[in-house]
Amino acid sequence: MKFDNIIIGGGLSGLTCGIKLAEQGKKCAIVSSGQSAIHFFSGSFDLLGKANGEEVTNPLESMKSLPENHPYKRVGLDKIERLTNDALHLLVRSGLNLNGQADRNHYTLTPMGVMKPTWLTLSDFTSFDQKDSFPWKKAVILNFSGFLDFHTLFIKDGLKKLDVQAQIKTVSMKQFEAIRKNPSEMRSTNIAKEFDKENAIEEFAQKANVLSDGFDVVILPAVFGLFNKTIADKLKEKIEKPVLLLPAIPPSVPGIRTQITLRERFQELGGTYLLGDNVEEGVFENGRLLEIRTNNHGDIKFEADQFILASGSFYSKGIVATHDKLYEPIFGLDIDGDSNREKWFDEKIFNDQAFMHYGVKTDQKFRALMNGEPVENLYVAGSVLGGANPLKEGSGAGISLLTSLHAAEQILK
Amino acid sequence: MNKNRSKEYDVIIIGGGATGAGTARDCAMRGLSVLLVERHDFATGATGRNHGLLHSGARYAVTDHESAAECIEENMILRKIANHCIEENNGLFLTLPEDDIAFQSQFVDACTSAGISTEIIDPKLALRMEPSANPDIIGAVKVPDGSVDPFRLTMSNALDAKLKGADILTQHEVVDILKDQDRVNGVELFDHAKKEKVKYYGKIVCNAAGIWGHNIARFAGVNINMFPAKGSLLIFGHRVNKMVLNRCRKPANADILVPGDTICLIGTTSERIPIEEIDNMYVSKDDVDVLIREGVKLSPSLATTRILRAYAGVRPLVAADDDPSGRSISRGIVLMDHKERDGLEGFITITGGKLMTYRLMAEEATDLICKKLDVDKKCETANIPLQGSEKSDETLNNVSQKVYSVNGITQKSAKDRHGSLAHKIAKGDENEDSMVCECEGVSIGEVKYAINELHVNNLIDLRRRTRVGMGTCQGELCACRAAGLLCESMEEPGKAKDDLANFLQERWKGMSPIAWGETINEIQFTSWIYEGIYGLKPDNN
Repeated sequence: MKFDNIIIGGGLSGLTCGIKLAEQGKKCAIVSSGQSAIHFFSGSFDLLGKANGEEVTNPLESMKSLPENHPYKRVGLDKIERLTNDALHLLVRSGLNLNGQADRNHYTLTPMGVMKPTWLTLSDFTSFDQKDSFPWKKAVILNFSGFLDFHTLFIKDGLKKLDVQAQIKTVSMKQFEAIRKNPSEMRSTNIAKEFDKENAIEEFAQKANVLSDGFDVVILPAVFGLFNKTIADKLKEKIEKPVLLLPAIPPSVPGIRTQITLRERFQELGGTYLLGDNVEEGVFENGRLLEIRTNNHGDIKFEADQFILASGSFYSKGIVATHDKLYEPIFGLDIDGDSNREKWFDEKIFNDQAFMHYGVKTDQKFRALMNGEPVENLYVAGSVLGGANPLKEGSGAGISLLTSLHAAEQILK
Repeated sequence: MNKNRSKEYDVIIIGGGATGAGTARDCAMRGLSVLLVERHDFATGATGRNHGLLHSGARYAVTDHESAAECIEENMILRKIANHCIEENNGLFLTLPEDDIAFQSQFVDACTSAGISTEIIDPKLALRMEPSANPDIIGAVKVPDGSVDPFRLTMSNALDAKLKGADILTQHEVVDILKDQDRVNGVELFDHAKKEKVKYYGKIVCNAAGIWGHNIARFAGVNINMFPAKGSLLIFGHRVNKMVLNRCRKPANADILVPGDTICLIGTTSERIPIEEIDNMYVSKDDVDVLIREGVKLSPSLATTRILRAYAGVRPLVAADDDPSGRSISRGIVLMDHKERDGLEGFITITGGKLMTYRLMAEEATDLICKKLDVDKKCETANIPLQGSEKSDETLNNVSQKVYSVNGITQKSAKDRHGSLAHKIAKGDENEDSMVCECEGVSIGEVKYAINELHVNNLIDLRRRTRVGMGTCQGELCACRAAGLLCESMEEPGKAKDDLANFLQERWKGMSPIAWGETINEIQFTSWIYEGIYGLKPDNN
């Protein structure tokens, strides 16, 4: 099969790149092995939350202080502002409702009850201008009885530090009786599926309205709208008080919906999305990748003019570690990382871990290096790139979005 | 907890390992008033950091006849009194092509003379009995080895002691031994929860603190010549073997593979370390490499089995008093009456020995305590089963079926973990059956039982009681669920967040030496959830 472009990886980077290329008329395929980081999405896309240990207020400004090998610096700070606008517009065209701007971080409340700086937030969630003030004084935190994945006491504790009085209440719903009987079924996605059917929302809103009498805001776990894209809005209409949704333990319901939204956009643009398939190997000639072979398609080879590797970091298996080496498992590309495993870690889990910075080596144009030489038509995007600790910086989504748009632009040139 | 600070105890026992808990039980059964103190939690020292091997004694048969004979005797006793802590798996001593097959007959003879039953098995039959064993073996001997859960064993002793009137203080660290001239009469403790010092008085103070007994003795002005020997082990994520696998040769590094619960573990290395390092139990890269290399020789499938954790413990070896160099070191039981040895009345030390001989150590220590207190009551611990192991009219299955409405994995797991005590896991409503930890099948009911009745101060304690977070994901999702439940019983949710951070750090300590493959993927995912999405910080939450 022949495509203009083939993208390896169906996460945020792969989808962004695929949508951008497909919008420009390219015939694209995405090969996705399955779940990606969007499935445990917090509801916000971070651009830069922390630099040099300091919390960032203006990400575009603070990027100047990043090291030279940082993906943002390598994309070029002169391009970043435009790319942040492109990214936002691409996501909005795809059907996501987002709030936020690249030159000023806003804050969201985490499930530990602390404020965290971020760039773009899904409209399901609430954005705050200030980190130390909360617009409401009395909050009721509602949880479903038997649901262990929403930590009301932690939220209450965090709110206390923001000078908010919070009370915890539980709601029992007969619609959840069946899933509660199985000891491992009372999880976010199963609750969301019940709400998706629209026969529980009315009753739940009524109960919430009674329980929130005397409070300024209702805090709920973000379990609304898995496949049903309107249910979160309906909930907010039916509940009289302002509703503040907070993430529960993954998988993330808004994350799965976001992934579906982006995938549908890609497919509507004519893209081919191969789900549950893995790229096994590539055929190279004269410094070019000619074709790839996948697990599900056996002898049917996939050819393309350009390829994009957006296979993610360790947990997505974009990079693999064994006791004696690090490697890129599909093509054996060069890795930017130490081969001695004693150098990978810090003994304190909350310290900056060296392995978080590891990724595939590229040239200035983000083309993958193989045995020190760039592969002419193989671009690298997203968290499979090294050069940053996106967890410590709060830059994971930003790096994915901007490097994949940058790769797409290289291809479209 | 019933704390009576003005009361003078008959005996204060220092150390919440198997020996300390066993001594507390024995003393309480003989009618003494007992206080057991522990600086962290039960089984946090050498007790919880070994193979969990129910030794037949065969390993020592050739080199140490006395230890071998002690082991087989205690082995048979533990099968009777602690059956809910034990898996009667049997063991094989394998001869590999690189080993001398002539050792086998010497080994069998030595076992026989120590009272250990052996059976020489044809290698082909041995491979049918234990398909995970190295197919190249040239010899195999079957012995009555087994597996023992040291956390459960220690907890059962402590629970039994408590039931018979003993007071127990965990998170209380001895900071001084109180003396009146040449007589010890109590301990000064630092209460880590309340951050304050308290004093307790007793007629006898029994030092059962394992390697840390070295420092305890110093507080009393007594010198014990201890030599810490570090042993490292690896835990694998699957139970590849059903029988204990040993190498049929003189004891060496990494030659025992023990199955236990859902996992198996290989160990140990042996390395003398300075006494200053006993609280810093890291596992080096070389340790890990040697454990894998030797482990694969016993069972080749270990090469492709995921490693969950690495950990190390310290054996409390004691040198003879006339040998300050430590060359003639005993692995046997060491009981010191400091009146006889140092002219200090009211203070005894029980140390050396092994997990296998904890009960015997407790018996010997209690005999000495009783003699000093002029109490004439015989030891009964060899005959009376521990809490959880009592025989009753109901079979264990009947008991646990009453506990849970669904006949699921939580039910079987709870029965395995708590024995006949499983009935205490109250069945409230179907919510109690909900799973907190999916890897290990831990329900809300079980977590609540542990919090209410098993001296749980934090998530790490909870793990030792219920196996929460011990499975393949190492606490990825269950830690937060368990923290939520624990938080309900804590006054300060901020403390529960710190506790969660500590728990993740503790899990990481065992993961970092083997963090490649799935482990590095898992820790990256865990960090994203807790630090990235939740915004958990290491302290001051």
